[in-house]
Amino acid sequence: MTLACFVIPLGLIFVYSFGSENLINFNVEFGWTTANYRAFGSSLYLDTLLRSVVLSVGTTLACAVLGLTLAYFISRQGPRTQRLLLAAVIIPFWTSFIVRTYSWVDVLQNDGPLDNLAHTLGILGPSSHINLLYTPWSIGIGIVYSYLPLMILPIYVSLERIDPAIYNAGADLGATPWRQFRRIVLPLARPGLIAGSIIVGVPAMGEYVIPEILGGGKTLMVGNIIANQFQETGNYPFGAALSVTLMALLLIVLFVLRRYQVTGEPAT
Amino acid sequence: MSTEPLDNATIALSRRALLRRAAQLGALPLAGSLLAACGSSSSNASSGAAGGPSTGTIVLNNYPDWIGPHEISTFEKLHPGATVKQVTNATSSSAEVVLAFKSGQYDLLLADTSDTGQAHAADVLQPLDFSKIPNIANVTHSFRAAYPYGIPTDYGKVGIGYRPDIVGEKITSWHDVWRLAPKFSGQVVFIDLERDCMGSTLKYLGHSSNTVSPAQLNACKNALISIKPHLKAFLNTNVGQGLVNGSTAIAMDWDYDVAINKQQQPKIEWVEPTEGMKAYLEGFAASKSTGHLDLVQEFMNFLLEPKQYAQFVNTTGTAYLVPKATPFIKSTISKNPILVPNANTLAKVEFDRYLGGAGATLWANTWQEVKAA
Repeated sequence: MTLACFVIPLGLIFVYSFGSENLINFNVEFGWTTANYRAFGSSLYLDTLLRSVVLSVGTTLACAVLGLTLAYFISRQGPRTQRLLLAAVIIPFWTSFIVRTYSWVDVLQNDGPLDNLAHTLGILGPSSHINLLYTPWSIGIGIVYSYLPLMILPIYVSLERIDPAIYNAGADLGATPWRQFRRIVLPLARPGLIAGSIIVGVPAMGEYVIPEILGGGKTLMVGNIIANQFQETGNYPFGAALSVTLMALLLIVLFVLRRYQVTGEPAT
Repeated sequence: MSTEPLDNATIALSRRALLRRAAQLGALPLAGSLLAACGSSSSNASSGAAGGPSTGTIVLNNYPDWIGPHEISTFEKLHPGATVKQVTNATSSSAEVVLAFKSGQYDLLLADTSDTGQAHAADVLQPLDFSKIPNIANVTHSFRAAYPYGIPTDYGKVGIGYRPDIVGEKITSWHDVWRLAPKFSGQVVFIDLERDCMGSTLKYLGHSSNTVSPAQLNACKNALISIKPHLKAFLNTNVGQGLVNGSTAIAMDWDYDVAINKQQQPKIEWVEPTEGMKAYLEGFAASKSTGHLDLVQEFMNFLLEPKQYAQFVNTTGTAYLVPKATPFIKSTISKNPILVPNANTLAKVEFDRYLGGAGATLWANTWQEVKAA
C-alpha cells in the first residue's frame, strides 16, 4: 500500500523532474536534464519561496501561541467541559475546507462583519475600512484559522497527561503562575508543540488554496506556482522539480525538528 | 440601454466563475476524468452508417451549465439510440484542453480559438466534414472563419465596468484606468486570466493582444506591475460583483459579467475602451480519438439550429453569433448593446489566436512574474 500510494508516485515525480516537455503537444521527454532545477534559481521563484517561508513560519508561530493557550485552558477544565471544548475545536472540520475558506471572504471584506465591528467600536472612522481582504494578512488569518485545530490537539494530548499534583507542588514551592507555565507547562508541552508545528508548518508551506481565495491573486506562494505549472502551463517536469525541491527543504526541516524532539536539544 | 432585468437563470450563471471555482476546488478535473473514463464512447457504442441514423454514446466536455437545459434531452429524443454524456470538466488552460483532447476520454470538447490552435498543432483534432453540418451556414461568416476547426458558439469581449457616481468622471479608455488607479487605490479589480489581463494591457499599450514580442510583453509586465499596488485583487470569480455594492469603482471585466451586474446595479456603466478590446471566441471541436464522428457532427448541427442555439444563449446570457436565432432570444440579450455591439465596435475587437508553443510559454512566464511581483 505504501509502495503503491506513496513511493511510486513520489518516484514518478522525481523522474519527471529531470524530463523536458514539448510545449505544443505536451509530450514529456525523459532526457535527464537538470534545467528544471536550475530555473528554480531565478529571483522570481526564490522570492516566492521566501514569501512562503515567512508566511508559513509566521502562521505556525501564531498557531503555536494560540494553540498552547487554548490547549492549556482546555486541559485545566473538568472532564465534561473538556469534552465540550474539544468538540468545539473539531466540529469545524465537518464543514468543507473550501467553504470555510470562502466564508472568510465575507468576514474580512469591507462592509463585512469585522469592518462593521471596527466601526461600531469606533476603531475606524466612518469613511475608513479595514482593507484586510486580499492582503498577505488575510492569507495568514486563513491559514491560522484552518490549521489551528491541528496545533491544539497534539498540545492538548501532551498537557492532559500532566499530573495536577505537579502544578500544586510548584505553587507550594512558591512558583508564580507565569513561572509555573514557563518551567512546568512549556517543557512538558514541547513534544506536542513540535508535533503540532510539523503538522501545521508543512502543509502551510505548500498551501495554495488559501492564497488563491484570500490573496486576491496578488500574493503567490510556492504552492501556487507548483499548481500553476500542472494546471495552467502544463509544464509537468518543471512542476515536478519545484515539488521535489520543496519536499527536500521540508525534509531538512523535519529532520532538524525530529532531532530536537528526540534529544531536547537543537540538532548539530 | 436596456434595464429590463435578466431572469434568475441568467444572473446566476457566470461561465468563468463556475469554471474557475471548480478549478480551485480541484475536484472537478478528477471527478470529470472518472466520469469520462466510465462513459468512454469507445467502450459501448457504435456509429450508424453514413447517411443513416447515428447511434451510440458521445462524451461532451463542457463548462458547468454551458448548454440549454433541454438541448441534450431533445437531441436524444430526436435521435433514438444516441446518447450524449456531458462532463463538466472544461478548463481555460490551453495545456489542459490539449491534454483533454489527447486523453481519448471525450468525443467533443469546448475550446477557444487559442486552445483549438494548439490542439491542431498537436494533431489531436478531428477534421470535420462541414457538408454534414449545414447549420454552420447560420453562423456569421467572420466568426466561422476565425474558428475553423469546429463550430463556434459564443464570444466575449474584455472591457471596463465602472461606477460613474463613485469615480466622478467619464472613463473612455484603458489609459483612464491606469491614470485613475492611484486615486481609487484598492477599488480597482483586474481579471485573473493571463490572456484577458495581459491582452487588455497590451491594448492599453497600443500593441496586439496576440503579440509574442518579448519587448512588448516586457512592457506589458511593467505596466501591470506598476498598477498592481493599486489593485484590490486579480479575480477570476465574481469579478464585477464589487461594482454592485460600490466596494469596486473600476473593473477590467467581461461584457456578460457587466451586463449581469448592471441588472442589479443600474449605476454600473460599460466602456468599450478607445484603444480597442480583446475577445475570446469559443466553440466545440471534435477529438481525433472519437469513434463517432457522424454522431458528433449531427449533434453539432443540432446545436446550431436557431431554436436550439437560442436556448443556449437564453440560458447563459452570452454574446451570440447566429443571427437567425435572434427572434428566439430574449430581448434583454438581443437588444443589449453590451452584448451586441455595433459593427464598428466589433471591427476593432481583436480575437485571441494561438500563440505557438514558445509564445504561450513566454506569456505564461510573464504572467507568473506579474503575479509574483
